[in-house]
Amino acid sequence: MLNINNLHAEIDGKKILNGLSLNIKPGEVHAIMGPNGSGKSTLASVLAGNEAFNVTEGEVTFLGENLLEMAPDKRSHLGVFLAFQYPVEIPGVSNINFLKAAINEHRESLGLEPMSAKEFLARVKEKSKLVELDNKLTNRSVNEGFSGGEKKRNEIFQMAMLEPKLCILDETDSGLDIDALRIVANGVNQLRNSERSFLVVTHYQRLLDYIVPDYVHVLYNGQIVKTGGKDLAFELESKGYDWIKKEHNEVSA
Amino acid sequence: METAVKTSKLASLAKHLLGSYDGDQGKNSYVSDIDFPSTREENWKYTRTAHISGKDWQFSKVRSIPEIPLELSEFENRIVFVNGNYLKDQSSLTALKNIDIQTGILNSGTFSSHPSHAFEALSNSFPQEGIHVKVKPESTETVELYVFHIFTGDGVISQPVNTIFAGRGTKLHITEFYIHSTGSTTFANVSCKIELEKGAHVHTDVVQIGSENSAHFQQTDATLHSDSVYTHNLITLSGKWTRNNTNARIAGKGVECNFNGIYIPSGNEFVDNHTVIDHENPHSQSNELYRGVLLDQSIGVFNGKVFVRQDAQKTNAFQSNGNVLLSDTATMNSKPELEIYADDVKCSHGSTTGQLDEDAIFYLQARGISAKSARKMLVGAFIESVIEKIKNRSVMELIQHTVEQKLRR
Repeated sequence: MLNINNLHAEIDGKKILNGLSLNIKPGEVHAIMGPNGSGKSTLASVLAGNEAFNVTEGEVTFLGENLLEMAPDKRSHLGVFLAFQYPVEIPGVSNINFLKAAINEHRESLGLEPMSAKEFLARVKEKSKLVELDNKLTNRSVNEGFSGGEKKRNEIFQMAMLEPKLCILDETDSGLDIDALRIVANGVNQLRNSERSFLVVTHYQRLLDYIVPDYVHVLYNGQIVKTGGKDLAFELESKGYDWIKKEHNEVSA
Repeated sequence: METAVKTSKLASLAKHLLGSYDGDQGKNSYVSDIDFPSTREENWKYTRTAHISGKDWQFSKVRSIPEIPLELSEFENRIVFVNGNYLKDQSSLTALKNIDIQTGILNSGTFSSHPSHAFEALSNSFPQEGIHVKVKPESTETVELYVFHIFTGDGVISQPVNTIFAGRGTKLHITEFYIHSTGSTTFANVSCKIELEKGAHVHTDVVQIGSENSAHFQQTDATLHSDSVYTHNLITLSGKWTRNNTNARIAGKGVECNFNGIYIPSGNEFVDNHTVIDHENPHSQSNELYRGVLLDQSIGVFNGKVFVRQDAQKTNAFQSNGNVLLSDTATMNSKPELEIYADDVKCSHGSTTGQLDEDAIFYLQARGISAKSARKMLVGAFIESVIEKIKNRSVMELIQHTVEQKLRR
């Protein structure tokens, strides 16, 4: 489904990703862990099409299409969804109008008519329950005045509304207390199925207690230096990242 | 020995205009001591007038309506003017109680013989037809009116003079359209004098639609007596050159004065809004909210003066001017000016000029919204605070349509 091959990317001339390769098949959940500055969020941003990052080498294909040549909105239409680490506040644009526009542009890309108001509202009602999002929040401006937890729940709510094929969660656990974390993870788990894949970027093992991954990858210096099953996350939690860094540096030397 | 007398540009234009002017006051010239302003004058620092002063304008007798972006028949209670001439057959007025509407030329006695600038001098010397509304004090219903001033032709000057008088406790809602027809070279010099008696409520939505070769000057002077509420929404959708002087004198206690504006210049368009709110009396409030969206090489000017005189204690004066530049070559000049002589007042002003939030655009795009739609959404959100003050639906739709058209390019 997603094939990343030898991906190199930089921002402001600074190299962040150094030949990263990763394959994700339908229905799989991959966790990306790693120390600060290893390139985890950069990977998420590059996949979503953030132009602040410059891809200098490598390929990314998604469902057989060259993802890197697509505008962010086209990637979204194809089924890529990024749940932002820092969701942007957009004063004056209501959550509801924004979602309606998003859904209808998705439908337009498929040659479908805009969704009826009735169907749309029914879907809002159904999906907002998934993450226990207050109805009032759906009518407010996008993320404006939302608490940290509400912002993250809103991300998962949008994910549920848009029904993507590949969900990228960029440190969705950051800034969440344990209750909010459980609600968010619960929402994500309900969206799991045999077709939909997840790339879960996280700093801590905590989130993976709730969203159990099929694979855990460790990112260091812009490369995947170790891959394992969910047990690797526990190992990292107890031993930290130093042994990985050491191992990697020995190999490179 | 002969002394060379240099004739001012204004005087030569006035002399030239005598040939095409129909009215009686044309001989009544106020233009002797004054000339067109230069950019050395503080109030005209960014605003050139050479393309107006240097042209041989003519009054026009044309009374047919060119193509305009609105369907006149959709507006009940409409009064239509073309090039400063009233068109009775295009107007439609149902019987309105307690309201007196005239459409002629004001008589010369009503004009000041000491105009403060060239545009006023020209208007006073050659006034044309406009709407004169008097709502009598006993009227209780809200009166709704539509006024259309349409300008068309090649090298045509029009100088409509409008007056509004809202009697004690009356309510009036006027929507005014000033439309320069496409392909024309027109100069409109509009004057509006407004007076609100005690407790009167007047709401005006003013829409200016210019053309590639239009020049539009609009002077609004409102006098607000005790407990009156005046809301003036001024929307400049297009036009090569636009200058608005919008002034209110707070002549009584407990007045509420609201000035709101939107301007969306593109291409080489120039829009200048000068406002003055003069708090002469206590316990009143004024609110100013101007939003600009500037594209291409357009230039905007905002200058908002608020005076709070020594007697005007307990004044609340709020002013905000925000601008979004959608290109690297657009320019905005914004200057709030507060002069406060009373000590127990609340006044605030703010001016911001920036670009659309790139992070917000990426966020919207990441949800499948195209960059173009994302920009349109953010611009819409930016001007929403003014749009919500507009009462008229067709005005809101015109604004949205213009935003869409201009952002599409």
